Amino acid sequence: MLPIESIRRVLDAGLTKGADLTEVYLENKESLSLTLDEGRLEKATQGNDIGGGVRVFYGNNAAYAYTDDLTEESLLEAAGVAAAAAENANNAQVCADLTKRESPVMSQIERPFEEMSTQDKASILRQMDEVTRGHSPHIVSVQCGYTETRRRVWVYNSEGVWAEDDRAFIEFQGQVAAQKGEVRQSSATGVGGQVGLEFFDDRDPVAMMPEAADTALLMLDARPAPAGEMPVVITNGWGGVLFHEACGHCMEADFITKGASAYTGLVGEKVGPDFLTAYDDGTIPGRRGTMRFDDEGAPTNRTVLIENGILKEYMWDLTESRRAGRASTGNGRRQSFRDMPMPRMTNTYIDAGPHDPEEIIGSVKKGLYAKKLGGGQVEIGRGDYVFTVTEGWLIEDGKLTAPVRGATLVGNGPETLRLIDMIGTDMSLDPGRGMCGKGQWARVSVGQPTVRVPKLTVGGTE
Amino acid sequence: MDYLEFARDVVSRAVERGVEAEAYISVGQNTSVNVDRGEVEKLSQAGSKGLGVRVIRDGKMGYSYTSDFGAASIEKTIESAVTLAEVADGDEYRSLPAPQPLLEEELDIYDQAVVDLPIGRKVEMARRIEKAALRFDERVVLTNRCTLMSQYGTVAIANSKGVAGSYDKSFIGGFVMAMAADENDRSVAFGFDFGSRLADFKPTEVGKDAARKAVGMLGGKPVPTQRASVVYSPMAATSVLGALSRSLGADAMQRNRSFLEGKIGEAVAADRVSVLDNGRLPGGIATRPFDDEGVPTAATRLIDEGVLQTALHDHYTATRDGTASSTGNANRRSHAAMPTLDASNFYFQPGQETPEEVIGGVEQGLYVESVMNTASINPISGDYSISAKGYWIENGELSHPVNEVTIALPMQELLHNVKAIGNDLTFVPMMGALGSPTIRVDGVMIGGMTAGDSE
Repeated sequence: MLPIESIRRVLDAGLTKGADLTEVYLENKESLSLTLDEGRLEKATQGNDIGGGVRVFYGNNAAYAYTDDLTEESLLEAAGVAAAAAENANNAQVCADLTKRESPVMSQIERPFEEMSTQDKASILRQMDEVTRGHSPHIVSVQCGYTETRRRVWVYNSEGVWAEDDRAFIEFQGQVAAQKGEVRQSSATGVGGQVGLEFFDDRDPVAMMPEAADTALLMLDARPAPAGEMPVVITNGWGGVLFHEACGHCMEADFITKGASAYTGLVGEKVGPDFLTAYDDGTIPGRRGTMRFDDEGAPTNRTVLIENGILKEYMWDLTESRRAGRASTGNGRRQSFRDMPMPRMTNTYIDAGPHDPEEIIGSVKKGLYAKKLGGGQVEIGRGDYVFTVTEGWLIEDGKLTAPVRGATLVGNGPETLRLIDMIGTDMSLDPGRGMCGKGQWARVSVGQPTVRVPKLTVGGTE
Repeated sequence: MDYLEFARDVVSRAVERGVEAEAYISVGQNTSVNVDRGEVEKLSQAGSKGLGVRVIRDGKMGYSYTSDFGAASIEKTIESAVTLAEVADGDEYRSLPAPQPLLEEELDIYDQAVVDLPIGRKVEMARRIEKAALRFDERVVLTNRCTLMSQYGTVAIANSKGVAGSYDKSFIGGFVMAMAADENDRSVAFGFDFGSRLADFKPTEVGKDAARKAVGMLGGKPVPTQRASVVYSPMAATSVLGALSRSLGADAMQRNRSFLEGKIGEAVAADRVSVLDNGRLPGGIATRPFDDEGVPTAATRLIDEGVLQTALHDHYTATRDGTASSTGNANRRSHAAMPTLDASNFYFQPGQETPEEVIGGVEQGLYVESVMNTASINPISGDYSISAKGYWIENGELSHPVNEVTIALPMQELLHNVKAIGNDLTFVPMMGALGSPTIRVDGVMIGGMTAGDSE
């Protein structure tokens, strides 16, 4: 991107006022997105976002300045702005030798995006649209989208870190609305990954559309969800969004080191059933949260968060690991060069457990099966969470009896985790559409087997 | 640099390729300061810039963007937009707006005092937020993410129909998370305040607000599942407005994605309900002289005394409608995004009663102070089920704190069930700016504990 001598001069400039550590982050993001609506390819957008930032640490604190003009001159200016905040410090550091890091994580793109024409990409959206419209006369709206993103990052710091990563993402999304009389319902779906055009070798965005249409159609005739406490069985795969929201966020080190998380101080303690093990794994090939290095140049890891019910580890970035005097787990992520990194999840999942998924549903006398989930939210300090069930079923005497609509699940994350009493053998990761918001957006993956919570509050209208 | 001149220049280069063209330029300065126990924990400052080029040929639209203003990059950006327009499908209603006279009036969206505010003052304001939270009550044990943000910048738009305009805008705001704890419980709450002008921003209130809410919620418990009256704080009521603003977009209506489709002229809410969108509200967060495709902003009465009057329009939806005019609601999240239809300053018209009187009218019910997961509210179906925290109302007064409950009612019914509207209109910076007074809605399903046995 820039000659390594230029980077060295910028790092040195960051250290001039007595900072402990200087970091340079450069980024080049190219993206193409296509939107098909009402059967027309309506929006086609392409662009490039290039820039860099200089972060200067002084003690536990940091100053950051960034620029969208990637020249040595602009970066030196940014270094000057960031270094100015460190003026009180008095220990003059020097930049260590920069050595390029190698990573064992493979995220090589086999077939670059350019090998397929934009027209051909658009024609996949057209097929998605056609198959959905042809599915039922009650389908009244279909929107399909394609996004490809290539994000290259370069990270250097004065302790000698030099890491590069090249991340390519493909995403297909579909939204369907169905109508009968005055009743309208909608459903959304998506598939994606960190992958080049080899995406199409084993994934079919057209095939996901009839299923999404079926959910919208099913919900047209669904009865309103019940309200109150009941046993809830949560689907495998995307159902892992429960663990991501309710517990994962509370294990991110920024809230931990402040004492502001429900999981602060609980490493070594029992936080879930014996048969519960959970990971954050930034090294799984092809997943949305996978990185060779995080956005601070630290290698990614498979971090055991919970092992046999015991809390083992939190997720750390550079800032918080410096504060705690330990190593980063490779969870320092940022939305773009305009943002400072913070601890974020990568690919987070509950591992397979001992129970037969059918037996789990069969065990419930009266409850709710959350077959498809929408998004959720957590309040990290206390761990209170909420998320939306986009396709729910009543369970009566161990059988799925009737679809219900408009259900929401609320609870307290740490409490829900302790309550889990059955975990299926059917662990799977989500199909690849997770986007996590924590002030900044980050692509993530979630996963879990079928899980039973014996008592959860369902927010319906009946 | 004269950004308007630059925008015009980009347009004239694009026009040479036989297309209608629009250039949007956004240039700004951002500062963010984060303090922890009085120390500057994180400080970020920088300038940024961006150009978006939209071209249309035979109703086919292409868009490209860049943050590099060099001549080669501009050429590449134009070329890429033209190429993408060839891939797109034609739409007879797709065009760029013609210029309309801009009204000369003081919108109060730019304050030199925000621009001139030295970094030291910003740090000091962030410290005041934190101090106010920590000093409010001894049960406030810590603050997190105590942040002061300031922004200012210029937007310039030109198109090949002759639209040409630019304006300056400033913003200052702060937020903090306060955590309160006693021997039995802990609770957290956010406080925030913001404005276009320095004088509008009250850092101390940010801290106090967060602390007051956090302390108040200590010992919160769910209530039994029941149907009851709910009084929404202005903050909580914006959960209704966010989804409503999307349902009221002409794009959603024209494309069969709104529960309000086909209801213009009908009573869709109680007659005490009026909903407005005003892109020219003086000092408003979403206020500006023209929208993101250069159409003058306007004040639009969407629901008048319960009756649906009109939808929100941009140039495309108005052209497609045939009889409507753009209400000036084209909006971009950044230079990297094509304009979409969004609300500006969107709010419930306030009533006469004080918030205390609204609460006082409820014998038994839930006062909702804050809500979560409002993004799940469905503007297509009207399904509305979110989580809520607040206080139980006993005989017209707030009693014990309540948490971990859901509130649910289809939007169609919710709007008709509005029983009282307060006089305390307050805005929050979400999706433009949503504003509401305290409102009371009857017959809301509260999901909480099961009275009796749950298994």
